[in-house]
Amino acid sequence: MTRRSWLRSTRLALEVRQRIPPLHRAAFILGALIVGLAICVAILVGRGVGLASIYEEFIAFTFFKASGVSTVIVQSTPLVLAGLSASLAFRVNYWNIGIEGQLFMGVIGATLVAIFDVGPESIRLVLMLVAAIVLGAAWALPPALLKVRLNVSEVISTLLFSYIAFYFVLNQVYGPWQDPKDKFPHSEQYDAIERLPPIGWEQVHYGIVVALAAVAVVWWLVERSRFGIQSRFVGTSPRMALAIGLPVGAIVASSAVLSGGMAGAAGFVIATATEFRLTPAMAAGYGFSGIVIAFLAGNRPFATLIVACLMGGLYVAGESMKVFYSLPDALVGLIQAIVVLSVTASEFFVRYRLRLAHYRGA
Amino acid sequence: MEFATFWLAATPLFAVPLIAAALGLILNERAGVLNLGCEGIMLCSALAATAAYLETGQSVALGLVVAIIAGAVVALGFGIFVVILRTNQVVTGITVVFLGSGLTGLIGVPWTNVALGGLQPIHIPGLTGIPVIGRFLFGQDPVVYVVLALVGVVSYALYRTRIGLKLRAVGENPQAADADGVNVEAYRLFAVMAGGALIGLAGGYLALASAKIFVFDMTQGRGWIAVALVIFARWMPWRALLGGLLFGGIEAVIPRIKAEGLPIPQYFLEMAPYAVTLFVLIYAAIRLRAGQDAPKALGVPYVRQDRR
Repeated sequence: MTRRSWLRSTRLALEVRQRIPPLHRAAFILGALIVGLAICVAILVGRGVGLASIYEEFIAFTFFKASGVSTVIVQSTPLVLAGLSASLAFRVNYWNIGIEGQLFMGVIGATLVAIFDVGPESIRLVLMLVAAIVLGAAWALPPALLKVRLNVSEVISTLLFSYIAFYFVLNQVYGPWQDPKDKFPHSEQYDAIERLPPIGWEQVHYGIVVALAAVAVVWWLVERSRFGIQSRFVGTSPRMALAIGLPVGAIVASSAVLSGGMAGAAGFVIATATEFRLTPAMAAGYGFSGIVIAFLAGNRPFATLIVACLMGGLYVAGESMKVFYSLPDALVGLIQAIVVLSVTASEFFVRYRLRLAHYRGA
Repeated sequence: MEFATFWLAATPLFAVPLIAAALGLILNERAGVLNLGCEGIMLCSALAATAAYLETGQSVALGLVVAIIAGAVVALGFGIFVVILRTNQVVTGITVVFLGSGLTGLIGVPWTNVALGGLQPIHIPGLTGIPVIGRFLFGQDPVVYVVLALVGVVSYALYRTRIGLKLRAVGENPQAADADGVNVEAYRLFAVMAGGALIGLAGGYLALASAKIFVFDMTQGRGWIAVALVIFARWMPWRALLGGLLFGGIEAVIPRIKAEGLPIPQYFLEMAPYAVTLFVLIYAAIRLRAGQDAPKALGVPYVRQDRR
């Protein structure tokens, strides 16, 4: 047999692995993470950031210094909520790409309550949270109905709703809600009573309670409730779920609305703990971050908490990269994208085995 | 009269990026690959075009060629993930959007916010001067006519050639195509790259002709509107041309309305393209039942060994 015909009769075949040992899976994902992070480090070094300062900014400051840890916690709080928001929708294969729009509507709800001083001061913050959740959920409802009733792709419709929300925010901050004091395009600052109070350690505020409560509620919802089991069915095999008589449309729509409400809550935390007002830039990046967190955490609530904290570290480090090395905001998104791509690629090696197959008489 | 003249004359400037991107996406989706990374590919090629234009003595042609190559290269990367590694097409596509945004933000600084001479319209004595439709039909830049021709080329290639037939087969029923000896992976990769080249042309045109400047995240959702346009066009090139003109017309009317000083709040005007896209999607779902025309294997990775 000549070499040429051997080449012709041989091809690379994909074999689906029947069984995936957990250790095997973990090893591949870890390997992918290392490759992805190495690419990110290479990019940073290429932009003139020394290895020592990468360690200092990304590891030492963010995770081993009280002021750093508290900054990371503050940054992670809305990220936890954004991650939960994405995971609630992704569990039923509903691709909610419009988290930023729902987050904006949440801030608008909170700002409405704050501007018009709705309700007694003692429960003002609670009212703001409720308004944020309701408006976020309401903004997620039309795309959900369109998906369930008319099978309109939610990927596009949620994103379009996001753009519409953004221009509505611009309309508000350049129009009726423009700050009368400094004439800048943002709303008037919230009163002291309308801000989340600090818990008394460094800068950490009560948003952390909102986030932890959300993790607990979502955990109960997906792991312990009837809704959780049903939605898992819908996510794994929608046709099977229909066949056994589950209300698939209602489950998908309510997951989408819950996702929107959670995004609204994330908006509430950013507005009442960090910005104290509605600004056009406050939602930037939270949509994709939520998707990345949910994806890396495999839609599991506690894993979401951990991944969100790591993302918080990335945000904080990215912020100092911006200040000290004048690297753009886009850096955080780029690092996230590289990490996601390397992990998705690793799934291939987890699921399939490559084998040289020989064909006779080819 | 003057309003109509200027509006019509400006429409192709906004329509061409949408039409070219939609044509690219039709090639992708007809082969079964859902390319949600369109927005990111457009951004990368817009930057590539701008950089090539500024660094090589302001040659528009060279800028567009570089944009096409950049689009094909980024699409090849996307294709390696979704076709060879069988990754989830939705997650990978969305990630490509943010990869494009991050990458252009990181390396694009020297070429950002530089006003470009860009591509200029042609002038045919006698014809361009015809009232109202003269500038619309005969006073555009050369790329407009090239893209018009490309609609015909893509249509012919898809429906009248052997390659087009195999490409559609791969998107409708990869099992059958594979059994018939069609190399599914090769055809899908080819479709992704060819589509990426067209999306690249869209990005390059956006920077060099429509905007005549590169700014961060300049695509502003146009890649996503193109994805919606493909559904509206029911995966047919000629309908993408009509849809692109409709959407381009809406984008083109916004600056006209502003110039006329009509009392419509500015930011509600800016919402219009997105709101119209939404209505068009709903219309397509209700009246055209567009979902039925989708390639059957759209978004589904093909693994020969998967039992069905």
